[in-house]
Amino acid sequence: MASELSEIRSFLGDLSPFDRLDADRIAAIARRVTVRYFRAGDTILEAGSHNDQLFIVRSGSVELRLAGEELTMRLGRGGSFAFPSLLRGGEVRNTTTALEDTLVYCLPGEEFHRLRSECDAVRDYFNESETERIRSAVRDLRLKRPSTLQHATIEQLLVHKQPVSCEPGLSIADAATLMSERDVSTLAICEDGRLVGIFTDKDLRKRVVAARTDFDRPIREVMTAAPRTLPRHATAAEAMALMAAGGFRHIPVLGSAGELVAILSATDILAYLGDSAIDTGMLVAKAAGPQALVAAARQIPEGFARMDAGGFHAEHTMRFTSALGEAVHRRAAELAEAELGPPPVPYALLVFGSLARGEQLVGSDQDNGIVMDDRVDESGREYFAALGARISDLLDECGFVYCKGGIMAKNAEQRLTRSEWSERYGRWIANPDEDRILRATICFDMRAVHGDPVMAQALHEDVVDKARGSGLFLSFLARDAQRSKVPLGFFRNLVLEKSEDGQKVFDAKAQAILPVIDIARTFALAEGLAAVGTIERLEALAAAGRMARGDAESLKDAFLLVSELRIAHQAAQVRAGTAPDNAIAPAALSPLERDYLKDAFSVISGGLDSLKRNLAGGIA
Amino acid sequence: MRERIADWRFRRRLAALGKSGQELLSAYAGARWPAPDLPLREAALLALDFELDGLARDAHVLQAGWLAFDTAGIALEGAVSLDIRSARRLDDGAVTVHGIGEERAREGQPLRQVLEPLVSALSGRVLVAHGAAIEVEVIERTTRACFGEALPVRAICTLELERRLHPNLVGTDAYRLASVRARYSLPAYDQHDALSDALAAAELLLAQARRLPADVRLGSVLRG
Repeated sequence: MASELSEIRSFLGDLSPFDRLDADRIAAIARRVTVRYFRAGDTILEAGSHNDQLFIVRSGSVELRLAGEELTMRLGRGGSFAFPSLLRGGEVRNTTTALEDTLVYCLPGEEFHRLRSECDAVRDYFNESETERIRSAVRDLRLKRPSTLQHATIEQLLVHKQPVSCEPGLSIADAATLMSERDVSTLAICEDGRLVGIFTDKDLRKRVVAARTDFDRPIREVMTAAPRTLPRHATAAEAMALMAAGGFRHIPVLGSAGELVAILSATDILAYLGDSAIDTGMLVAKAAGPQALVAAARQIPEGFARMDAGGFHAEHTMRFTSALGEAVHRRAAELAEAELGPPPVPYALLVFGSLARGEQLVGSDQDNGIVMDDRVDESGREYFAALGARISDLLDECGFVYCKGGIMAKNAEQRLTRSEWSERYGRWIANPDEDRILRATICFDMRAVHGDPVMAQALHEDVVDKARGSGLFLSFLARDAQRSKVPLGFFRNLVLEKSEDGQKVFDAKAQAILPVIDIARTFALAEGLAAVGTIERLEALAAAGRMARGDAESLKDAFLLVSELRIAHQAAQVRAGTAPDNAIAPAALSPLERDYLKDAFSVISGGLDSLKRNLAGGIA
Repeated sequence: MRERIADWRFRRRLAALGKSGQELLSAYAGARWPAPDLPLREAALLALDFELDGLARDAHVLQAGWLAFDTAGIALEGAVSLDIRSARRLDDGAVTVHGIGEERAREGQPLRQVLEPLVSALSGRVLVAHGAAIEVEVIERTTRACFGEALPVRAICTLELERRLHPNLVGTDAYRLASVRARYSLPAYDQHDALSDALAAAELLLAQARRLPADVRLGSVLRG
């Protein structure tokens, strides 16, 4: 009967992951539902009890507390709970209480297990570990992202249409000469017009030189025989998948008659995807004067949006954007030097914060400073004052606007000698107070982008060394991190920030990214690790045994997940011509993305708790 | 006192039904019927809704939807929704409301074939409906027509119960199913599908029961 239990079916049909099931399956599930009602304050499920049902909130809202105490999550309409207990055999860890009058749908455990075994989407969704859920979320987002790769065919990517080829009997020496003359890194070996093998620079290194093969032997003996090929109409995505799966970087492309058309290299794909970014990098590095630099730097957001559209992973987009930012800073310093003459003593231009961590997106303000050699005199300081001002002004014009907190080379506080910087960090570490810590934390993410790298590195090592031993300082950092309001979920927007126009939004940076950065930084400093990037830090912490491998992985996944959403959000703003920000309206997220975010929030909250337990207690 | 008389009358009518000589009706009469003293939470209930082709006393039944439940929860496994054959030209107003056209009404099952499983489902159970007078009246009328005996039915009317729980609400709209459900934070359902309405009434009773004393007796909530 078409209309039977239509209320239940339409509700489930719009709810992830049930929305992936066909109508018949949903109708069958609807019949297995038991409807239950709870008044506000009622306990629905108690920690320590045994459970054999999946609960779905139909109306109202519930709260989950670990062992009845610590708040784990709040769920509203459409939220599911108690599945972790089904996955671990029934043992309930969270006490669930109705916050309002609540109607729930209960699905028998056996039905839940059957659904998981029949449908991948259901299994991925209801995963015991948040880590796995977030990982499948990242995968999901990447799959859904409309990617340039899906549409571009190999033919569009090919730069060198005429492959260089030779007969299999040609000697290795002659083949290498041919490659050298024609300036190719890959040689096609053909017999009677048919491709029989390929030979690359790498083969020359491994199979000829390192293996001390006689150069007079025929190329046939050292080529890769019967290489994997693709037809010319294959997509770039297929080519990348083949490269990734086979671990090679060159794929011969065949025409309709099986003839060799070209050899596609990984570089061709990269050039196609990132060409505007690479071009921008070239323009920045070669900018002849301030105007050219500003013009080149203004293209960065566009390159950023293009990377997003091209399906770049978050970590790559951040790294690429940071590399461009770094290039702009370096060129700004070089141009300033060109205007003011050579520096009187060695110095380095330092960057702090996201640029130092290699995690920059678009629309960041500038955070930088200058470290001068201790031998600098008064006139030398005047030089650096002019240099710092020039660099800051130039960067501002380039789109790296002035830092509201004054952390920029324009500011005398940010232009110190090597010893003065050391003393300044020393004061922060020895006498921390809340106000200072708030302003100084980003200075603990530091990197030199221009000038004397040795001086900057020595300073960094010095700082890391000082921080490591200071329990008081670390406890301030750990407590400062607790200030971030990580949402528990998208529960009635209660935990969300208000944007400028009064709309309730989720601040992806303040409420999710910064806490992860804080967690990684504080633990890394406590351990005396020199790593600066958040992912690098988490990996180093796991490698040092300071953080459980699984926890580090979860934080990394949460960080990447939110970064993906943040990049997509900013890229859309760039495309729309509005100023990029971090305020994501919950309505802009799919129900699935919200679910994934809830998992990320829970991982981040866990990380903050661990920080609190381990380091925040150091204060008397 | 009134409760005792009502129960006595119900038992007497059951006893009479037991003598009808019809297997279906004897089974109904011989079912385990809950005593009025039984706590409501232990009572077996059946939410029922009929869609009719009009408001007249002789309105035809177009659709019946029912589901068995108790105050702990509503298992949808046994939910039933049946269209009923009716050859009569349908009252235009009612047809547009229910979305049950003449064609579909002709394709439905004969009334008797719908009543038989309904009588079985109702055996030993208390009927629950919003405005239960209509459902009780239709059951009595149609069973008399089909089986020659009017089925005795005990019912809880969620509308009547709501007037007791919230006696001072102004206007009749305040007691309509959708408005009452909204007061208990129950989701808005499309109305005028028999099974949806039966489910809506069943959920409402769960919500109302949570406002009554935990040991409230069945007899005290039966419609008078």
